[in-house]
Amino acid sequence: MLRRTALAATALLASAALLLTACTGGGTTSASETGTPNPNASAVIRLVLEPGNLDIRQTAGSALDQILIDNVYQGLVARTPKQDIVPALASAWTVSSDGLTYAFTLREGVKFHDGQDLTPQDVVWSLTTRKNTAAFSDSARLANVTSIKAEGQTITLTLSQPDSSLLWNLTGRAGLIFKEGDKVDYKTKENGTGPFTLKEWVQGDHITFERSDAYWGDKAKVKEVVFDYIPDNQAALNAALAGEVDVVTGFDANLKKQIEANGDFTLELGKSTDKGTLAMNQTAGSPLADKRVRQAIRQAIDHQAIVKALASGQTMYGPIPALDPGYEDLSSVAPFDPAAAKKLLAQAGVKNLTLTLKIPNFYGTTIPQILVSNLNDVGITLKVDSIDFSTWLNDVFINHDYQLSFVLHTEAHDFENWANPKYYFTYDNPKVQELYTQSLAATDPATAADLLKQAAKIVSEDAAADWLYNGASVVAVGRGIGGMPITNVNERLNVTALTKSDG
Amino acid sequence: VIRYTLTRLALLLLGLLVASVLIFLTLRVLPGDVAQLIGGVDSSPAQLAALRRQLGLDQPLWAQYVDWIGGVIHGDLGNSLLTGTSVAQELAQKAQVTVPLGIMALTIAVLFSVPLGVVSAMRRGRRGGTVLTFGAQTLAAVPVVWAGMMFVVVFAVWLGWLPAQGFPRSGWADPWAALRSLILPALTIGIVEGAMLMRFVRSATLQAVGQDYVRTAAAKGLTRNAALIRHGLPDVGLSVITVLGLQVAGIIVGAVVIEQLFSLPGIGRMLVADVSARDLPKVQGELLALTAFVLIVGFVVDLVHRLLDPRQREAA
Repeated sequence: MLRRTALAATALLASAALLLTACTGGGTTSASETGTPNPNASAVIRLVLEPGNLDIRQTAGSALDQILIDNVYQGLVARTPKQDIVPALASAWTVSSDGLTYAFTLREGVKFHDGQDLTPQDVVWSLTTRKNTAAFSDSARLANVTSIKAEGQTITLTLSQPDSSLLWNLTGRAGLIFKEGDKVDYKTKENGTGPFTLKEWVQGDHITFERSDAYWGDKAKVKEVVFDYIPDNQAALNAALAGEVDVVTGFDANLKKQIEANGDFTLELGKSTDKGTLAMNQTAGSPLADKRVRQAIRQAIDHQAIVKALASGQTMYGPIPALDPGYEDLSSVAPFDPAAAKKLLAQAGVKNLTLTLKIPNFYGTTIPQILVSNLNDVGITLKVDSIDFSTWLNDVFINHDYQLSFVLHTEAHDFENWANPKYYFTYDNPKVQELYTQSLAATDPATAADLLKQAAKIVSEDAAADWLYNGASVVAVGRGIGGMPITNVNERLNVTALTKSDG
Repeated sequence: VIRYTLTRLALLLLGLLVASVLIFLTLRVLPGDVAQLIGGVDSSPAQLAALRRQLGLDQPLWAQYVDWIGGVIHGDLGNSLLTGTSVAQELAQKAQVTVPLGIMALTIAVLFSVPLGVVSAMRRGRRGGTVLTFGAQTLAAVPVVWAGMMFVVVFAVWLGWLPAQGFPRSGWADPWAALRSLILPALTIGIVEGAMLMRFVRSATLQAVGQDYVRTAAAKGLTRNAALIRHGLPDVGLSVITVLGLQVAGIIVGAVVIEQLFSLPGIGRMLVADVSARDLPKVQGELLALTAFVLIVGFVVDLVHRLLDPRQREAA
């Protein structure tokens, strides 16, 4: 099962999301501001991708996760930008040593935005409904859960087998808590428990969140946050220079000089789990079914040049990015070496190879140009077929009708796609699937990560695909803004701690 | 005149019907569907089938068309597949941006093209006229996007007089702010469209100069320019009205482009977003409304032309 969210999001962000070289150190939020924060301030944040609707129960797209989770809707647990799992609606939890029983202590005094109390029954209902409604996103992520029960404030989940990804899954859509039997029009309205309420949504323009003064935890530090949807980076730059937005996310690091020119903005680069993935269709009969051809393509591509052209991000040579568990440096598996690539092609008996790359049209031309030139150097002619995202979904994603495909996969913890032979990656290695299953069943995080690491190495050695770059979150932060998250903001953007000072 | 009007009206309706079929079928050719976009990349075939049923996409094409056109005849343009909101309501909301934008652009185009066109015709062969003609040729050849970016750089970024993009979040509650945000986009469309219009005005004026009645008026003692202005311009005006009718379509196309560039929440930007979201009922409702608008403008222009032009009045 895939993560749908990743792709849609992906796409949109892509245009924006070329990242920086070395990501800035360990910080996950922008430097704190020196002025006095104004609790009545309205902060405007430029985002790239607007959600199609707000029904996070079933509408795909990371544009929904990005703003709605943490800010409006919450689960029992939440994740930080550094990918740690922290308490949210549950104040604490315990896991039994056999990994089969999870007990959460539900906070008291939590209210939904419409004023109703959050009850343990709401939690049981939300999780049960999600598990049993196939049309809801991520319902399959609760597949191992056999019972969900409440006793007092304790919510107990019992599993049929250990699942090392369960807590992580509960920080996402699978774990969101709604009011039992709520009649809200989820497509355009909300009723969550988070620190912000939805004030208005003008489609094609902006979404405004307002601080919820009835929030159970630390209240938001600005009165409202406006998410201004500006797809074009040049328009976003103009808006920033004209003082119309306070923060620009999804920016192009090549415009650093321009946006910092008048001293009002500082460009920051945060780590991200964005993976620029060059998928290779290896079903029988494809020229890419031969591992030597795939390896030749990997060694023909100058990954450093790509990172340089994007002015952000870093190289990656395997399926797992540095932010996720199971990462290791696999650069030795596919070093840039056109001569070796030519040799591999000769060994495979491939001459005058022509390949077609399908790429959603919002990714621009930088990446395809580099690929065309690199592959040409080893004797492969690359044709670029730039298509819109709906067409990509239909051709590549659903019908696997492609040779090469480029998409930015943004979602964290998405190794499962390499263990799923039905995914559009068309990669099928039983050893990898076995290691992934073992990793899920592990009860200790270190063991789980180690098994993922072993599996990831095989995926890279098999040249299951090529990873052109690991993107960065490119965020320009305006003067007066503090507490702005900069790590992986394409996936999640928690603005509770955001501050804005006057002047 | 009444018979003429009725005939034209029948043609208008026929045109709309044909347009509705074309719009409907063309959109069905697009690959991909909204169920896939809602379901996302990990949706199962069963889930997609359920979504399609829920959205009415499992009906045969003709049934979908009849369902849609039946609603249209009763004044219902349909609902968005994504948000469930009514297309008519969305159009009305976005029209608050696009209609004023169009009117401003058209006004700017006329204000700048008519006087300059006439002047450049009257100064034909002299330096001023050549400069004007050359300028118009250049402007008409400029892509709208480029012109828009230049205006933004100068007026928004350098001078800081006008907003670079966007529309006030409170809409027209602050009329001055709303108006300001439309000035640059309207200027962009207006100048480029106006440049084309100016060349037209110029050639219409030149033609009028050659007309017998203008020569006669000049022979009776008026200066050539006075004869042109008193007797020639009404004729030029008629031609301009006709061209303006055509120009409306150009302005709509310009608005689609310019609303992207300036991030204006208008009909053009909504249209582009809905196409990529494959929200087909919404797209076809929007396209039909735009088509109807262009056809109606053409219809009105024809009528006005007929009423104003004495020759055609008599012919009827």
